[in-house]
Amino acid sequence: MTTTTIANPADALLFETSVEGRRCLRLPELDVPKVDLKQALKGAKLRQKPANLPEVGELDLVRHFKNLAQKNFSVDRNFYPLGSCTMKYNPKINVTLLAQPGFTRAHPHLPLADLQGHIELMVNLEGYLREVSGLPAVTLQPAAGAQGEMTGLMVIKAYFEEKGEGKTRTEIVIPDSAHGTNPATAALAGFKTVTLKGKPDGSVDLDLLKSLVGPQTAGMMITNPSTLGLLEPNMVEIAKILHGVGAQLYMDGANMNAIQGIVRPGDYGVDVMHYNLHKTYSVPHGAGGPGAGPIAVAAHLEPYLPVPRPVRNEDGTFSLDYKRKKSIGKVRSFFGNYGALVMAYIYMTQLGREGVRRNAENAVLNANYLRVKLRNEFKVFTDRVCAHEVVFTDAIQAKNDIHALDVAKRLIDYNIHPMTIYFPQANVTNGEGAMMVEPTETESKQTLDFFIEVMKKIAQETRENPALLKEAPHNMPVVRLDEVRASTQPQLYCPMCMS
Amino acid sequence: MPFIQNTDAERREMLAAIGVKSIDDLFADVPANLRINMADASRLKLPKGQGELEVTRHIEGLLAKTKNAGDYAFFRGGGIYNHFVSTVVDHIALFDSSFITAYTPYQPECSQGTLTFIFEFQSSICALTGLEVANASMYDGASALAEAMMMGKHVAEDKWRKEERNTFVLAGAHNPEYEQVVRTYADVAGLKVVNVPAGADGRIDQDALKKALTRKVFAVAAQSPNYLGVIEDLDAVNAARKESEALFVHCTTEPMSLALLQTPGEAGADIAVGEGQPLGNHQFLGGPAFGYFAARKEHLRKMPGRIVSETVDKNGKRAFALALATREQHIRREKATSNICTNQSLCALRALIHLAAWGKNGFVELAEHTVAKTQYAIKKLGAVDGVKLVYPNSPVFNEFVIQAAPGLEKKLLKKKILGGLPLDKYGKGRKGQYLVAITEVTTKAQIDAYAAALAEALKGKAVASAK
Repeated sequence: MTTTTIANPADALLFETSVEGRRCLRLPELDVPKVDLKQALKGAKLRQKPANLPEVGELDLVRHFKNLAQKNFSVDRNFYPLGSCTMKYNPKINVTLLAQPGFTRAHPHLPLADLQGHIELMVNLEGYLREVSGLPAVTLQPAAGAQGEMTGLMVIKAYFEEKGEGKTRTEIVIPDSAHGTNPATAALAGFKTVTLKGKPDGSVDLDLLKSLVGPQTAGMMITNPSTLGLLEPNMVEIAKILHGVGAQLYMDGANMNAIQGIVRPGDYGVDVMHYNLHKTYSVPHGAGGPGAGPIAVAAHLEPYLPVPRPVRNEDGTFSLDYKRKKSIGKVRSFFGNYGALVMAYIYMTQLGREGVRRNAENAVLNANYLRVKLRNEFKVFTDRVCAHEVVFTDAIQAKNDIHALDVAKRLIDYNIHPMTIYFPQANVTNGEGAMMVEPTETESKQTLDFFIEVMKKIAQETRENPALLKEAPHNMPVVRLDEVRASTQPQLYCPMCMS
Repeated sequence: MPFIQNTDAERREMLAAIGVKSIDDLFADVPANLRINMADASRLKLPKGQGELEVTRHIEGLLAKTKNAGDYAFFRGGGIYNHFVSTVVDHIALFDSSFITAYTPYQPECSQGTLTFIFEFQSSICALTGLEVANASMYDGASALAEAMMMGKHVAEDKWRKEERNTFVLAGAHNPEYEQVVRTYADVAGLKVVNVPAGADGRIDQDALKKALTRKVFAVAAQSPNYLGVIEDLDAVNAARKESEALFVHCTTEPMSLALLQTPGEAGADIAVGEGQPLGNHQFLGGPAFGYFAARKEHLRKMPGRIVSETVDKNGKRAFALALATREQHIRREKATSNICTNQSLCALRALIHLAAWGKNGFVELAEHTVAKTQYAIKKLGAVDGVKLVYPNSPVFNEFVIQAAPGLEKKLLKKKILGGLPLDKYGKGRKGQYLVAITEVTTKAQIDAYAAALAEALKGKAVASAK
């Protein structure tokens, strides 16, 4: 028997396996008098019928999700060189320590005396992030990198408003290779985006930058290392150009994994930066989130940070400072993604000073090793020493009508999660399909050698048997989805849920 | 070195393959004067790294300086609720690394696990809200409300091209954390936020609402149950906004209420948002959890955030994929409706497991128990000499406001009771008022103890009058 046609209920959706009256959890017996709902709710309108949630038993519920788990690639099972996402190993201790009631049942409205250890943790983590950034103040509140970007621009805006330049400084300069969140954030924060065309190697064209900035410029958002995986060689000059016209320099810290402990962005002259703690500091990516996006700022921007600010008092106690007149307010309720902050803190505490530096060194070493080992088979977009990731393109493979997408899908057959493809976008890569590989520092040489061997094999298959790539992946439950249909005829819920 | 597997010998081998002498050569693009010299202890002042045993001790030491909801008879909510979380949730979402160590399902073939659960999650949110489209989740309830405002503005720009609609109305008592986040987003977007106060019954002042709903308003949001615990008359809000045609946003911090109460869909809401923590997510001082976001189908293309759709693969087999990405920042860049990039997948997964583990009937029972316990607490606390119910004639679900005396916290803490949240900072005339929250975790014995402790603390004190 090679294939089966009998449907396994574990493959069905929960809603489809639901059986009237089946139960998983049970409540204790009600210890207070039962009430008549209509009377108790004083005539407030009730829903017409119960929400049609699935009814399943515990075993089938667990089996459903264990079955789904097998349909996912993950860092614990697969090499996951998804460029720009820093899919490093997430130490087990992060979740083990987080699962304690001291964290899971920490309510935000507990009295200050009960929060002392938590505020101390926040103050310590802010301190770590200050040291790595070389900037004197940090807020942990933003829930994600994109929210960190927004918070950073809000802070810049508030700063200029106080200086009386809020109305005139309306533009944010953004390189064309930037991640899409940068221009989207600038627009959300009420700025006009000025696109800066990068030099062919992705670095900033200083003359062009000079021609674009002036009294109308609020700032520039720069990603360093760039989305092409290269360190920007002229950061100091860029900061000078911006400061020369009174504008601010924002650094997208998405690629901080390459420079942590090597150079402090503050020393470059950066005024604001955000961290992605789920990238650099090992908060698990959670199938898409939650993460955390703290920002670090220069002294002149500190008064505008969100409230509350965790504070260490002179007597060694901790408190929360809400009384900050210039603060932009809040970007997220309570303290941000505190659970994610705890995991980053545990990780950084383990790394320590040496570990932070070593992570960057090894991340960059691993990426360069892949670059030199694969550059004969795949075109390196800019073949010079790279940072923590290397951008290949499909220029060589395209001659056989094999593109980045096909290479990505074929990697799945080798149990490797595909690299990031088609980012940076085609306008940056001269129309070639980008394949951005980020191995991270936690991968061993054996795994890198395995990946190299697989990629070389794929290059060979491209020449000898391109159909193999066009039809990949071969061993997954589904292959080459109709993604156009997903958008033109969206079916966004299981019909049973609305019955 | 922690978490780095390569040995020094392997590193040397790799450097040789690259053709450089040392690791330092890989950082030549960093100006030498800025490169951190590890021998210089004045820069990068981080402590020495700790092993697993030491960091465990350190974290335990920090936790020794905390208390949590489990240490008390606990009566606080105000946006985050002390619910029971089934072990099943943690076993799947926290301890099975298949979901937690995956990322965004960019490659659907090796991400069907994630895509399927997001589709099931969206379906559950549709079931709860009675609306046809839900996204894969937002950061939290507060930013979801802010995103609803931004989306409302985008809808308005299309719908009323010739009108200047710039005002967002927050009707009634909204959670102050939410209001602050909404105002922060509105400030930079150049939008005006107008509050319509709650009336003497704790509900939206309908006359004030009608006055506020001019043709300058693009959307009105109502939180129900509201911050004072009172269930709003959603039909009245829907009727009031008809003339101005403003969009109607429904918000709640306790989605368990949707098990029983009129759904946003039934009430005519265009958008429904709220906090997802009460659905299987731990408290963690307020995050991470997620914000849910649902809307009427006609608004789909203006919706922020990730969306998963059912589709087919090349063999016609059912499959799930990210959909409608052309709304999102990575395609539309500065023209996107939102800058949101990720969702809170893992927290959404927790909600899905929670909802399925309780199931259709169990989820209703959970809400019914909460109502019964809340009613019991209202009766018990309301009967204490010196305690008055502030909104005795208004419907409530899981929270209610009492008027007692200021500064009771310490006296109750001695008896290991954390009483309701003091409301004195929430507004004028609220001195001595407390917002009391009940969940399925609250026991009769705890409520009795709270009532007894209040009676003792208030002995001889006159009832402060509610203003």
